[in-house]
Amino acid sequence: MLEIKNLHASVGGKEILKGLDLRIGEGEIHALMGRNGAGKSTLSAILTGNPAYTVTEGTITFRGKDLLSMSPEDRAREGIFLSFQYPVEIPGVSMVNFMKTAVNEKRKYQGLEPLSASEFLKLKREKEALVEIGSKMQNRSVNEGFSGGEKKKNEVFQMAMLDPCLAILDETDSGLDVDALRIVAEGFNKIRKDKAAAEACGQPATSAIVITHYERLLEYIRPDFVHVLYNGKIVRTGDAQLARDIDEKGFDWIENEADNAGK
Amino acid sequence: MRILDINNTDQQLTLEAGQEEHFLLLDPQHVKLRIQQQEGSRLMLHCISLAPAESGTCELIVEQQAEGCETRLYGLALLKGEQKFDLVTRVLHNVGGGYSNQLFKFVLDDEAQGSFYGELKVLPDAQKTEAHQTNRNILLSRSAKIQTKPQLEIYADDVKCSHGATTGQLDSTALFYMQQRGISLASARRLLLAAFLGDVLQGLPEETTAQLEQQIDAAL
Ligand SMILES: Nc1ncnc2c1ncn2[C@@H]1O[C@H](COP(=O)(O)OP(=O)(O)O)[C@@H](O)[C@H]1O
Ligand SMILES: [Mg+2]
Repeated sequence: MLEIKNLHASVGGKEILKGLDLRIGEGEIHALMGRNGAGKSTLSAILTGNPAYTVTEGTITFRGKDLLSMSPEDRAREGIFLSFQYPVEIPGVSMVNFMKTAVNEKRKYQGLEPLSASEFLKLKREKEALVEIGSKMQNRSVNEGFSGGEKKKNEVFQMAMLDPCLAILDETDSGLDVDALRIVAEGFNKIRKDKAAAEACGQPATSAIVITHYERLLEYIRPDFVHVLYNGKIVRTGDAQLARDIDEKGFDWIENEADNAGK
Repeated sequence: MRILDINNTDQQLTLEAGQEEHFLLLDPQHVKLRIQQQEGSRLMLHCISLAPAESGTCELIVEQQAEGCETRLYGLALLKGEQKFDLVTRVLHNVGGGYSNQLFKFVLDDEAQGSFYGELKVLPDAQKTEAHQTNRNILLSRSAKIQTKPQLEIYADDVKCSHGATTGQLDSTALFYMQQRGISLASARRLLLAAFLGDVLQGLPEETTAQLEQQIDAAL
């Protein structure tokens, strides 16, 4: 699905990623952990083509294509979805208009006819029910005046509408209370296609990068791999147990080991 | 609503006591319009410049000459290429108890140049006046230019007045957010600009609004 090789990237003239390698297979869930400022959001910005971030070295292949040569919108249409750490408020642009444009531009890219108003409404209702988001939210401007929890639910709703094959959840759990966290995580689990569901509809199984500080989210969204980002690289990879260890002992021991190995 | 077709002219109009008028001024070129308002009259005027000639000027002068008048002036200008458009408003509150609201927005691309000069005068006798003026502009290119000059002269003390002027670019974080959802950069810009301009069309009949929205979308 995704292969990142020797990725170096900078923002504001500062090198943040310094030779990162990561390989994500179809249907796999990868958790990405690391301290504040480690560069987790930088990686999601690079994967989605945020123009404020620069790749200085390395390659990224996504489903056989050179990702770095694609525009941000084409990456999205190819199936990459980012649930933003900080969803953006867009006053004056209604959620409905925003989503209709997004869905239909993706369909056009895929060579499909645009959805009619009623088809769109039907899809929207179906997905609202799936992720337990109120349709009242959908009558407002994009994220405008939404609470932190509403914004995160809205990200998951948008993901449901766009049906990606690679989802990046950037701290989708931060600032959520226990109930909101459960709704968001269960929403994600309902959207994602496992191997069986994928085979049934002839599409790839959903892969995900779940960026989080907390083991809590990973009790709902169970990772196949857990990675720790430090000094611009992935310094340790393990299974779900690694997240539990980090929850208990913090990052120090991993970072110390990485420092010692580098000496 | 009445469309005023008055290019290349000076015109003078009076709203009699209690009269209500709504004017639409489309693509004004060299227009000077002076409107006098009598007691309790209500004026709404939309000045929409979507396909202006190479250079245009428009001066709107409104005098509230008796009590209890309402004045609403709304306008937008989309300029590109080497287009130039200068807009002047002069709103005068001679007597008290009046209300005025001005909202003007410019979107400028390429080498276009625009200016907004907004004079708002509240004379000493015009107590209990409420007057607002807002000018917001978006520059789509580095070489587009806008000059904005609010000129407020408030001589009465028991009044409620406000003014604001801002010039900026399209919000790049919002553009990227939309692109990340698969919306092309061009569509994202159009959505943001339509949102930016939307409130200028308030008060127009539904049909006219829909028509103008289409024309705006085509012009962007
Ligand atoms: N726009 C920016 N300009 C300059 N520095 C930035 C910018 N965005 C992030 N950084 C810096 O890059 C580093 C990595 O940030 P980020 O990827 O957001 O970390 P994380 O998501 O792991 O908390 C931090 O030191 C942060 O201060
Ligand atoms: Mg982050």
